Amino acid sequence: MVFAVIIIISFIFLNAVMMGYLERKIAGHVQRRPGPMEVGFHGILQLVVDGVKLVAKELLVPINVDRTLFRLAPVLSFTPVILPLLVIPFSEKLQARDLHLGLLFIVSMTSINVMALLVGGWGSNNKYSMFGAMRAVAQSISYEIPILLSMLAVVLMANTFSLKEIVGAQEKIWFIVLQPLAFIIYIISGVAETNRAPFDLPEAESELTAGFHTEYSGMGFSLFFLGEYTNMFTVAAVATVLFLGGWHGLPLPYGEYLGIVWFFLKVYFLLFFMIMIRWTYPRVRFDQLLNFAWKYLVPFSLANILITAVVVNL
Amino acid sequence: MSESQFQEHNRFFLNMGPQHPSTHGVLLVILEMDGEYVLDPQPVLGFIHRMHEKMGESRPCQGFMPNTARMDYVCALPYNHGYVSLIEKKAGIEVPKRAEYIRVITSELNRVASHLLWLGAYLLDLGAFTPILYGFDDREHILDILEDVTGSRLTYCYYRFGGVAQDIDDKFADATRAFIKRLRERFDIYEKLVTKNIIFIKRTENIGIISRDTAIRYGITGPNLRGTGIAYDIRKNEPYSVYPEFDFDVPVGERGDCLDRYMVRVREMEQSLRIIEQALDMLPHGPVRSKVPKNIKLTPGDCNFAVEAARGELSYYLVGDGTSVPYRLKIRVPSYSNLSCLPELGEGILLPDLVSIMGSLDLVIPEIDR
Amino acid sequence: MIETYEIFKNNMMKLEVPVTETDFDQRGYHMEVILTVNTIREFAQTAYEHGFYLVFATGLHVLPENREGVKTSGLEVVYQFARYDRLCRIKARVSVPEDLTVPSICHIYQGANWHERETRDFYGIRFADHPNLEPLLLCEEDKDYHPLLKEEKKLKKFEAVSWPAQHPDIADIQSETLSDV
Repeated sequence: MVFAVIIIISFIFLNAVMMGYLERKIAGHVQRRPGPMEVGFHGILQLVVDGVKLVAKELLVPINVDRTLFRLAPVLSFTPVILPLLVIPFSEKLQARDLHLGLLFIVSMTSINVMALLVGGWGSNNKYSMFGAMRAVAQSISYEIPILLSMLAVVLMANTFSLKEIVGAQEKIWFIVLQPLAFIIYIISGVAETNRAPFDLPEAESELTAGFHTEYSGMGFSLFFLGEYTNMFTVAAVATVLFLGGWHGLPLPYGEYLGIVWFFLKVYFLLFFMIMIRWTYPRVRFDQLLNFAWKYLVPFSLANILITAVVVNL
Repeated sequence: MSESQFQEHNRFFLNMGPQHPSTHGVLLVILEMDGEYVLDPQPVLGFIHRMHEKMGESRPCQGFMPNTARMDYVCALPYNHGYVSLIEKKAGIEVPKRAEYIRVITSELNRVASHLLWLGAYLLDLGAFTPILYGFDDREHILDILEDVTGSRLTYCYYRFGGVAQDIDDKFADATRAFIKRLRERFDIYEKLVTKNIIFIKRTENIGIISRDTAIRYGITGPNLRGTGIAYDIRKNEPYSVYPEFDFDVPVGERGDCLDRYMVRVREMEQSLRIIEQALDMLPHGPVRSKVPKNIKLTPGDCNFAVEAARGELSYYLVGDGTSVPYRLKIRVPSYSNLSCLPELGEGILLPDLVSIMGSLDLVIPEIDR
Repeated sequence: MIETYEIFKNNMMKLEVPVTETDFDQRGYHMEVILTVNTIREFAQTAYEHGFYLVFATGLHVLPENREGVKTSGLEVVYQFARYDRLCRIKARVSVPEDLTVPSICHIYQGANWHERETRDFYGIRFADHPNLEPLLLCEEDKDYHPLLKEEKKLKKFEAVSWPAQHPDIADIQSETLSDV
């Protein structure tokens, strides 16, 4: 168990480095420029060097902030997002802990993320940060519900909350084929939960000069971003587990362990998609964002559950 | 607390600027806010005030030329054009035909560059990080073309009294034609990426509507006015230089919202390309600069000259006193009047909408502050 | 085709505001209107009703004079109006009285708000009934410093900076309107 935790924590840092590099390269190519090229072969070492830079920066704590809350927020943002990775089945035999209520556990841990934004925004004693925090809270609360409802549809079909068994139930056919609407709703809400563009209002640069993390520099800032990338990974991983068949794929030798290859392929495909849409679309306005969640996503996901319940019982 | 006291308690002031990613230049807008709603945006100017009008009165008229480029550096050639045309009108200097054509070609190229930059910056304000790089990519071509002939990339000081400083050659003409062809193909990309994008339409449609009455009361000109439906373009209404010889349209919008202003500017780029093509085809031979006395004496009396800059009507008003130093030089810049309607437009709207409106007004603060 | 706006001219004559037509090719505007502090607001209202927009409002500092016992301050406010539909530019000017106060036209043309603030910054001319005559381009500390006011030795007489043909008109019109005041 301890060994698994160590592996997962080091994996998180590795993932952040990889995703950061992917993001900057994809952003570059979408914008017709090559992205990082100087450090290492095609800029592979860029994130490592950036990490060193961020660690070496001065940890600024402005005078009038609430010191405890200000320092607490980045830690709060980073720590709870590690925990969901403990219950995700990377392959048939590679899972740190298989909880019966694995799905519920994941959902509750990701909800703590909004606390971190609120604490950070409030503690910064800055109107812009407060704005970002308020927006983040409203957005997170609104998009929690479609996430839960679309997950519920899968739970109804698989009849269990345990992630391992949900993947097991997808042996014959992936749930994306049976629940396409739930998949779409889940992906959209997942992007909104992680505050990624086009839903990145809490940190909207052009309006709020960096929103809730305006006052953070160096390690605090990088912890927020580690948390964001890990959150994205969690969302993509849960989507893979629930809809894309987890570690199922073409048979490989040592299938019980090497299922992880298919798992990562699927997760990184979803991450690639999430990064692409960030650089393609402008930002939605805040009331349009909430309207979309409450007027479209929630009714559709409710209807989806209804239909699923009816069909499962037949 | 009573209801109104409670509401008063909820209001706060937010300083947008002077350093802010969305105000294009050094502009402070003090927002009185109630939650996310802006109650009263008040622009505060003067951060980049350099007193160009005083400089206009302190030196001979030739010495003011570089100043004209520093006011609106994004679209500097129409500023040059207005000033040299004003002095030529006052002093009765003839300009050769070839020079007039070159002035039109370079001014229109500058207008396209300015609109491309505006497009990228506006979409950056709205949260789309990619179009600005596409716009800058296209703009680099224009900057390269103009650098060959003027020597600068941004603050052009190319026109002289009686013509232009240097002649254009075949390399310029070929590069310009190649650029026009390329930009026409690129318009498709902008169309698909931006104009048809549902999120963009939702952020700009029916937002920041300027009515005809508002336009008259504030003196709004340029694409902001043409988005309202009024086809007022100095190049057509009060023609100067050789604009009457070209065939081009003046695009107008219907409702006067942000989307209409966006569409007007995109279509204006196409019209500018048409003008450049026609000018290149009709370019006459001849000298590019006429002989002008070293010391130009400005006859007593006042004189006004208006040109169509990228942002609207730019007027120079000069009072001469018989010497070569102007007695009074007043520069009427378009963004000054365009920005003054912000308190009226921005009453009771959401903060993201305010950002969208300010972006669509196409402001360049150094020209407002002069 | 460039034409002057006959109806507007006639309305101005009714208000007893002297309007002279000028050579557009020489000066860049079609009509020159000479106003007094009493006729500014009426003129602005008429211009607004006729659909003119305010291009700018600025000041001019000339040598103060003593005309028939009335001392002028030497400051003038110059307005320019234009139209969207047909070409017609009008220049209007007001000689600022000694107390340096001129009525504001903010209530008619809201765009004049900023133009008048700028004129106050540069020249010190106060606009009566202006809602917010704070410094616009200069800073609060320099409220009393007016950069565009010329030094004594640089000031010139109004005739020295006007078109030659203007002089006879000015003398007659000024004396007429001043006696009305």
